[in-house]
Amino acid sequence: MRKIIRTKMFALFLLLAAIVIIYTVLSDGAFVSPKNIRNILQSTTVVSLLTIGAGTLMIAGHIDLSLGGIGTMCAMLAAYLLRVGVPWYIALIAALAMGGICGAFNAILVNELRLQSFIATLATAAITQGFAPIISQGKQIDIYDPVFKFLGGGRFLNYVPYSLIISLLALLVYGIVLKNTKFGRGVYLIGGNPDAARLGGLRPKRISYALFINAGCLSALAGILLAGRLQTANTVGITNSQFAGITAAILGGISFGGGTGGMGGALIGILILNCFNNGMTVINVSPYWQTIASGALLLIALTVDFLSARRRLKT
Amino acid sequence: MERYLEFKGIKKAFPGVQALKEISFRAEGGRVLALLGENGAGKSTLLKILAGDLSADEGDIIISGKKQNFTSPFDAIKAGVSVIYQERQMIPAMSVMENIFAGALPKNKFGFIDKPRLKREAQEIISKFGLSIDPTTPVGRLSVAYQQMVEIMKAYRRGSDIIAFDEPTASLAEAEISILFKIIDELKREGKIIIYVSHRMAEIFQITDDIVVFKDGALVKTFVTAQTNEQELIRAMVGREIGDTYANLSRNTVYGDTLLEVKNLVTKKVKDVSFTLRKGEILGFAGLVGAGRTEVVRALFGVDKIISGEIFLEGKPIAFKSPTEAVAAGLALCPEDRKEQGLVLYRSIRDNVSIPVLSKICRFFFLDRRAEAELADNAVEKYSIKTPDTDKIVAELSGGNQQKVILGRWTSEKMTTRILILDEPTKGIDVGTKAEIYQRVCDFAKQGIGVIFISSELPEVIGVSDRIYVMREGRITGCVDRADATEEKILSLAMSDTAVTDGGEAK
Repeated sequence: MRKIIRTKMFALFLLLAAIVIIYTVLSDGAFVSPKNIRNILQSTTVVSLLTIGAGTLMIAGHIDLSLGGIGTMCAMLAAYLLRVGVPWYIALIAALAMGGICGAFNAILVNELRLQSFIATLATAAITQGFAPIISQGKQIDIYDPVFKFLGGGRFLNYVPYSLIISLLALLVYGIVLKNTKFGRGVYLIGGNPDAARLGGLRPKRISYALFINAGCLSALAGILLAGRLQTANTVGITNSQFAGITAAILGGISFGGGTGGMGGALIGILILNCFNNGMTVINVSPYWQTIASGALLLIALTVDFLSARRRLKT
Repeated sequence: MERYLEFKGIKKAFPGVQALKEISFRAEGGRVLALLGENGAGKSTLLKILAGDLSADEGDIIISGKKQNFTSPFDAIKAGVSVIYQERQMIPAMSVMENIFAGALPKNKFGFIDKPRLKREAQEIISKFGLSIDPTTPVGRLSVAYQQMVEIMKAYRRGSDIIAFDEPTASLAEAEISILFKIIDELKREGKIIIYVSHRMAEIFQITDDIVVFKDGALVKTFVTAQTNEQELIRAMVGREIGDTYANLSRNTVYGDTLLEVKNLVTKKVKDVSFTLRKGEILGFAGLVGAGRTEVVRALFGVDKIISGEIFLEGKPIAFKSPTEAVAAGLALCPEDRKEQGLVLYRSIRDNVSIPVLSKICRFFFLDRRAEAELADNAVEKYSIKTPDTDKIVAELSGGNQQKVILGRWTSEKMTTRILILDEPTKGIDVGTKAEIYQRVCDFAKQGIGVIFISSELPEVIGVSDRIYVMREGRITGCVDRADATEEKILSLAMSDTAVTDGGEAK
């Protein structure tokens, strides 16, 4: 098992390296210019947080399609609170709490009403997505608060974004928790077989609640960081990053079937995805084709996931 | 021409088992023939061959003089065979009439479904069966019993000459059973060939004409119902010797105090069950599949909801709301379905062994990998699990070794298991490993663990247990000491309607 993961990780590395080399050649080196590398790293922030949220749920055998909606709504809520004069820390806590509440709502739908997480979170996505323009009355809300601007757009040594440091730290912490704690092991076990985990004395329901709430909070944070960087919360927010988060997780070896993958693979998945997308802009691929190429990449990731799951079932 | 169904030398093998050994018999039109035998005797396999779900390795099915060769259920239906399984095969959202005429809906001249005619013809069949169902009701809204009736009407509409029932009364209430029997009588009068599988003796004497007894895949004997009795049938079903495996077990002989006392336990599937378990005792639970044994232990373990009743663990009242609480109190369950409920198949031996003790092998917040590896190594050594290392995924182990991983989980040095519940622990396991597991179970008892041993294999449950509770339809119908236990006695308690308590109460 460990061997397979190792070789899979190695294959992912090779893919990443290949993408970097190809784009570097095609762009005459512009792809690896300091400015462009910073762009890639900058765009990693939001996706990383969403990948952690979606990825941990996928390892546990669930899926969350509402993360984009939740993050967008929570960022809007924070911006609204700032506009009406609430201090920055209360706005921040309230938005994160709202993310947690939305996650708890998903967990209730899945655990108590026993809805499929795919369907349940699709409904939550529509609801939260709808609330964003209601809060702002259809407009965007500009953010003037210095702390929010700093969190979203500040740069360490004028180069590395603080938000990137936050998200990389998060990846590291969640990676350690998943692999080395009782809770993390529980996530893998309930993803592998919830019945066996429960009869073995674990509490799948609690773990699932924790993961949904966690994912809600992380997407709220992602929404806030993006809004802080753009200095405005709009009604689209992080909606478009949601599928990127899930694609990155799958690319990084977190299977739809649950029970496999980790944060290390997820990080490589994120880098592959971002390099792939960023490179297309650098070499001037038309935006329409970029969308199509992103879809194709997701399709490839899903096919690989499907094939490896099938091989696993055969043994 | 007279109608008959004949099986001639039917053989069927599955990997490792000869499920049917040269089965030959004949069922006549206008008579009801019962298939009787213990679980796993081969009745269901034969029904599946008749229905075209499985094909026989050798042998022929002959219907009224014509040799049949079914390669699919469709062939069987075309040849006039309908098998009514316990699980209904209907479309719940469609109406009664559409289900009755599924695959043969009458059409009008425009090629659309002719609703008035459909309704008229369905109503005719419903009236013929003496039922009062609205033909336009969706089947999903009917009770289980009426759904079954609809299925029988569908078989009738197809003009099936042969109708086989697989335990049709298992989920029916008394009143519904009498409706079913009236319908079977009606079908009989029309000269149909009826095959009837049931474990209920009373029913077999009530409605069948002939009886064929199966044992271990072979046909033991055929009877005419009117000329036999319950004792004779049970003897025919059992008739085998208990081997030396059990005589050679090194058993525990000293029992401690009462460990577990269950009083009048009631759940959705369990009716008024009371029993006691002492330290060092192996308590067998016998009965047919679906008798409620698994449900009793699920309730104990905090999985199923308890409606009423009391449970005492060493004198203290308990009611676990989750398996987590049960495990913390020293209960351990090896579930019936190893792969679905026992193991996380695509994780390593190590990960599977450590599940209940994860919090005990934590240092601060982190799992102590060395302690975990040691735990798994010890389990592999103790149970001689055949594997190169503890990294191996349990899905790649044999059934016997998988079961040993679960035993290793519950008896590791970090566990303090007081009550070990084994639900069909030897299912699908080879003979050698079975004997090994029996001795392990006796060893647990010697350590003072109370063991609950559920098994549908009579020789096993008699050979291993100190006392045997027999269940039927959610109730305990008797308790037998090992010294007095015979397969005949247990089978009659498991099947008969008259509950006999035969001593054996814990002193």
